[in-house]
Amino acid sequence: MTMPRPYALLAEITYRCPLHCPYCSNPVAAPPGEAPRRPQADGYSNGELTTEEWKRVIREASALGVLQIGFSGGEPLARRDLAELIHAAREAKLYTNLITSGIGLDDDGVRVLHDAGLDSIQLSFQSDESSAADEIAGARAHERKLDVAAKIRAAGIPLSLNFVIHRRNIDRLPQMIDLAEALGAERVELANVQFYGWAFRNRAALLPTREQVDRARGIATAAKTRLAGKIEIFYVLPDYYETRPKPCLNGWGQRYLTVNPIGDVLPCPTASSAIPDLRFENVRASDLDWIWRKSESFNRFRGTEWMPEPCQSCPQREIDFGGCRCQAALLTGNAALTDPVCEFSPNRAIVEAVLRNTNSSSDHAGDWRYRQNPKPELAAV
Amino acid sequence: MGATTISDVARPSLTKGVRLQIDSTTGKSVLLYPEGIVELNETAHEILSRCDGRTLGEVICELAEEYEADSAALAADVRESLADLQQRKLIEFK
Repeated sequence: MTMPRPYALLAEITYRCPLHCPYCSNPVAAPPGEAPRRPQADGYSNGELTTEEWKRVIREASALGVLQIGFSGGEPLARRDLAELIHAAREAKLYTNLITSGIGLDDDGVRVLHDAGLDSIQLSFQSDESSAADEIAGARAHERKLDVAAKIRAAGIPLSLNFVIHRRNIDRLPQMIDLAEALGAERVELANVQFYGWAFRNRAALLPTREQVDRARGIATAAKTRLAGKIEIFYVLPDYYETRPKPCLNGWGQRYLTVNPIGDVLPCPTASSAIPDLRFENVRASDLDWIWRKSESFNRFRGTEWMPEPCQSCPQREIDFGGCRCQAALLTGNAALTDPVCEFSPNRAIVEAVLRNTNSSSDHAGDWRYRQNPKPELAAV
Repeated sequence: MGATTISDVARPSLTKGVRLQIDSTTGKSVLLYPEGIVELNETAHEILSRCDGRTLGEVICELAEEYEADSAALAADVRESLADLQQRKLIEFK
């Protein structure tokens, strides 16, 4: 097997976020990582990588072949050095994308990011109008997002909108698409919620019914046709309702890597919380090149040798790669099994039971718990 | 817009937010855009590196000269490549 090279780095630069969306894929608790947590000279006293550490990560990623970087979080605007990091990424010839709630971005902020060389912005929305959207975000955010979208457009930065779709907003899909059109977005992602992190904890409240899903699929398909050439629409499937698993990451350790706020390097952003028995390397201890090529965590599920049956003899095995390792771990307790979404998985019954429950109690789906900002333990100072 | 209907005086350019760059790992040309990467074949690279305000007619002429190719056959190839990239919203015509 020739060693693949990564194309994209997801830089989760902070866990802090002013929103509390109950579907956030961030860990539900501060990760137990072994990174030093002593206060840093530049004020990132919560264990987050410093500006210089991130710049080094960016240079190492570029040398490793990475062409794209997504600045994410938490809310990346919570870092005061965001523009500096974007500039560093541009100097390393990376295509820079900001994945943001928009909260905290004023005119000056947009200009500073633009001047730093930001290539594009993906702005999240929770629904199409304030009351529902703010209820989901657990914060007054929607009106401010509308304002931020207008500022981004005025600055001429390409704009993508992202809606996470779930039981409580899926019926507003047409209005969400209208909003994307009205705001002049080039691209809109209608992403059915995937069940990791807070979303896994809140699954009963978030999983839509089969009827909702069927209707949404028709609406998204029609909108794709209607808006072809104007807005690109990406519809992320609700995988519990599929019969084949998603080709997660295009294979483990094949194209993507994530560095989390404390410097752990993850083959997948949700791996640290979903697969507790996998030990992840940290950029403070090792360089990215070694981690990508040699570390146990990046090699554990690389290629096809690790696969159990029915994946091992399946003609689809290099198409869907056995599905998602995190999903297998969350649903079965074993990350090395076939994704239970697959109809050939011996564990498909787990998914069926969840679907049965959702589709038999249509009137009340239960409440969710809002995401809290994790509070990493501080070492004694 | 189909490949054959692109006018000779149209000026192809990269869509806002799309960047043409050399991938230093492979030495090949790539287009980078929000959450996507396309590796270009040599034809697409030769075309796009000339899309800097020139008209389609000028691009075709220049390529025909450079490669000593029949410009009618080449024009069809160029139009087809550009139509494909336009469909993917990676280029636009002004």
